[in-house]
Amino acid sequence: MADMLQILILGIALGGVYALMGAGLSLVFGVMRIVNLAHPSLIMMGAYVAYWAFKLYGIDPLVILPVAMIILAVTGVLLYKLVFEREAKSATYSEMTVLLTFALAMIFEGGLATAFTNTQRVTSPEYATDAIFLGDIFIPLGQLYAGIVSLILIGGLALFLKYSRFGYAIRATTQNREAAQLLGVNVNLVGLVSFAIGLALAGAAGSLVSFVFSFFPSKHWEWIAVLMSLVVLGGMGSILGTVVAAYLLSIVAAFVGFFFGATWSTLTFFLALFVVLLVRPQGLFGEKPELA
Amino acid sequence: MTKLLEVKNVVAGYGDGPAILNGASIAVQPGKVHCIIGPNGAGKSTLLKAICGMLTIRQGDVTFKGKNLKGLRPDQVLREGICFVPQERALFPKMTVRENLRMGGFSMPDKSTLEKRIDEIEERFPILKERRDQHAGTMSGGQQQTLAMARTMILRPEIVMLDEPSLGLAPKIVQEVFEIMRVMTEDGITVLLVEQNALMGLKHADWGVVLDLGRTLFEGPAAEVLTDPRIQELYLGGKKAA
Repeated sequence: MADMLQILILGIALGGVYALMGAGLSLVFGVMRIVNLAHPSLIMMGAYVAYWAFKLYGIDPLVILPVAMIILAVTGVLLYKLVFEREAKSATYSEMTVLLTFALAMIFEGGLATAFTNTQRVTSPEYATDAIFLGDIFIPLGQLYAGIVSLILIGGLALFLKYSRFGYAIRATTQNREAAQLLGVNVNLVGLVSFAIGLALAGAAGSLVSFVFSFFPSKHWEWIAVLMSLVVLGGMGSILGTVVAAYLLSIVAAFVGFFFGATWSTLTFFLALFVVLLVRPQGLFGEKPELA
Repeated sequence: MTKLLEVKNVVAGYGDGPAILNGASIAVQPGKVHCIIGPNGAGKSTLLKAICGMLTIRQGDVTFKGKNLKGLRPDQVLREGICFVPQERALFPKMTVRENLRMGGFSMPDKSTLEKRIDEIEERFPILKERRDQHAGTMSGGQQQTLAMARTMILRPEIVMLDEPSLGLAPKIVQEVFEIMRVMTEDGITVLLVEQNALMGLKHADWGVVLDLGRTLFEGPAAEVLTDPRIQELYLGGKKAA
């Protein structure tokens, strides 16, 4: 029984991190209908920001996190202006952005590998290898902190979307772009800000991931599969869905890892992607696709 | 005759496609209900979209209170005082009724005035108060139409343009929709209505405009348009629409 509880707790702690990794992806898809395949490579950038800040200056990843968010948000604004905005009027925008973001992912990966090599890295503040014990159960401090910070950020995002004027505009644009425009929303600005927020979340996730998992530039391909399964299970564009899916799959993956070995735990995400697309393609919280 | 809005020889279409409007003109008089009728493909909806800035006007002019609206974005036309309710009602299905009403006043800078106006709207349309916390997408078609129309009144616009508000609604509900339209005019709002069902539309209007092939065929007091022999010809001769 203690074993089960132990696994559950580990699953929950990691679930928060996955949720944060997926939230930005989901937000951007909802508003702009862009499947940003470069999202994990941008998370990777955030991880490197945290890694070097710690390695060179001894700055704690949790302290550098806001800086990583700002760096990535600025990157987001530049990418949006240079790449996405000018193509927005194209009839094949959604399809084209799949290729565009795929190319961006490769460029970022190549850039990071050239600059920092493909060596495995992990940021190692003291708490990353520490744990607290509650009776028989141990909770790794690094994962606990990462999980808590993720929850705080996602909670902040939820409050922003629910109550702020701009949050209303983002939700409205996600649900009905044309209607939002008719009611006075500048949908292009909403796209830009959402993209910047999405990438800021990637920056935050990167800082946290940097001391939870070991990473190297080409590892983002592994993450994209995981994130896609979260977004699809949650329902494309539903941030709540992504968060629920993240916890769900993370917990299941933890149990799969315990019973069948760690190698199999990654399989959980792929299997979920498969099953969801077969059984419930709209995911947990998505709209049922209308038959033409 | 004073004109609030004047559309003159407008040519417009979708994207790079062919022109749907080929010189449509209407003169909108303040405080009246104007019904635009015409067979399928006449350009009725296109005309409303061109006025509100959703489509680029290729030729001609749209003048509102002496100001040319040509080239403005939908959010800018809205700020001038013209609201548009498209056929699909433009609601946010996963926002609550109250949140949808708030979106109606998105362009209002003062939040407390907005909340006060929403309260007023809820008083006038009790169903919206009752359903306040319900997602708009879960309401019936008639309730959604009520919400879409009531929402425009938050901004106290001068003109509300309605694109087939009766579409897909049961006859009894359609009566309620026209009742809301009457409430709007009592508030001094000028209505521009597009109706597929010409007979019903004209019955509730003061002024009728007949559109065919993107041009204004003729216009006049609704009662006269209703009995005009050219209408019989247009509808029954072509058998294009009921």
